[in-house]
Amino acid sequence: MNRRNFLKDLIAGAVATSALKPALAEAVFSAQSNQRYLRPPGSLSEKEFESRCIRCGQCGEVCPNRCIEYFGLENGIDSLNTPYIVPRAKACILCMKCGDVCPTDAIKELDRNAEDILGHVRMGKARVNENLCLSYQGKTCGVCYRACPLADVAIKTQLLEQPVVLEACVGCGLCERSCIQIPQAIKIIPDHILNPVS
Amino acid sequence: MAETIKPFALWYHLNKIRWLVLLSVFLMLILLPFIHVYQTFVASFSYDLLEPGEKSLYDLMEMLTSPFTSDPANDLDSIKGTTWSGNFFGFQISDPLSVLGQIASGLTLYWPFIITALIPVVASLVFGRFFCGWICPATLLYELNTTLSLWLHRFGFKSGNRKFDRRLKYLVLAVGLALSAASGSVLISVIYPPAIIGRELYFGIALGGFGAGLVFFVITLLFDLLVARRGFCRYVCPGGALYSLLGRFRLFRIKRIVENCNDCAKCNAVCEFGLDPLHDDFGQECNNCAACIAVCPTDAMTFVIATQDVEFQGAGHLGKQYQRASNAGE
Repeated sequence: MNRRNFLKDLIAGAVATSALKPALAEAVFSAQSNQRYLRPPGSLSEKEFESRCIRCGQCGEVCPNRCIEYFGLENGIDSLNTPYIVPRAKACILCMKCGDVCPTDAIKELDRNAEDILGHVRMGKARVNENLCLSYQGKTCGVCYRACPLADVAIKTQLLEQPVVLEACVGCGLCERSCIQIPQAIKIIPDHILNPVS
Repeated sequence: MAETIKPFALWYHLNKIRWLVLLSVFLMLILLPFIHVYQTFVASFSYDLLEPGEKSLYDLMEMLTSPFTSDPANDLDSIKGTTWSGNFFGFQISDPLSVLGQIASGLTLYWPFIITALIPVVASLVFGRFFCGWICPATLLYELNTTLSLWLHRFGFKSGNRKFDRRLKYLVLAVGLALSAASGSVLISVIYPPAIIGRELYFGIALGGFGAGLVFFVITLLFDLLVARRGFCRYVCPGGALYSLLGRFRLFRIKRIVENCNDCAKCNAVCEFGLDPLHDDFGQECNNCAACIAVCPTDAMTFVIATQDVEFQGAGHLGKQYQRASNAGE
């Protein structure tokens, strides 16, 4: 095969694969996961994030809280080596350093102020399990409210410290991390489960 | 006998300098995760809560970094990343393959990221596939692996020396990019050893466990040892393919000085990429590693500035074959 033909075949192959892309993606790389993990603060939506992230690992390397971990093969090969956070193990403190260092802006570059964080961070949303929550059982607790970096904006409490999660919650997971109940009575529902993209 | 032309004296020592560069890049990749761990300790004010081992790590890192910074938790962020993509005092540098992989997976051009590969691309246009020989952290291990196989050879171990088609790696590059495009994720980073090394060192040191990439890398080491010498770099590596393409018309080339050459073929034996310096056949795959210059006993290898290799210059003038031929001509 001469070079010209080889190049022609190459281009034809590339065109064919990009045409087949959705079907292939469905069949080979089963994408949507129901695992409960968070992407770092300021990440793009799940599919976009996977195509933008080059797996350089710098976000984890600047995280002062060492909360960013990396997928192995457990979430499918297309999220291999991408960063994730398990809030119950270690939650995000919203320092926004990962966005500063990300070379592809898969994690957006944001300032560490309430306006930027509330406007652009979509990690997930906290959800209270009232059957487990101590405050709802009459034993005033309020730890989640006190752990929240955006208290009164993202979460408020009622008379007996019962937490109520508000719309503004960005899903950093500090409430879940600090919940004294086992299993935790407040959980972050990740953005990719709340808003599954087609 | 023809007048001897001596190559520039520094060229003999380039191979040693290259090993120093490789070693320092590798040590940097080991140091950075430790620095990160130290930074997290500083950021959490947790010295009193550390284990004894962690305390000694803290003390060591404090000793190393305190001359340069008084605020390690923030200042040490200025050098981060790996050779795959790194941040150097606010300056982002990325591997051209990472840019190509990202373009393929996203099927869009994201310019702020693309320009981070500008310096490596320009350097490759000038110096050819120098990344493979001079910076790639996997190269250090692969060359040590070659040394190991030579060493094992003394004890009767026969290392594999199969030959494949060198163009295989261009196919790997094309297929890798096509798969990246099909899956919508940068899959090419999974089979690219420098990216794997940087990542796995970080996983192993800072996150407390190596990942799947290490298995792949060990397999490539075994492949090199048992099947083909430097086989992964020669035949499979997609990054090597990309750098070869970029370095096709490189300006800095190694050239044989035919007057000094005695046809001993040590250059061919030492060439990690299986090229043929003895017959002036370097091609786009030469990584300017300068091992052939260092090994040449008659100073017949030098650097020149040219965009093309010279045609085969005939037998070396110090060699028997040339002398026979010229005697016969008289």
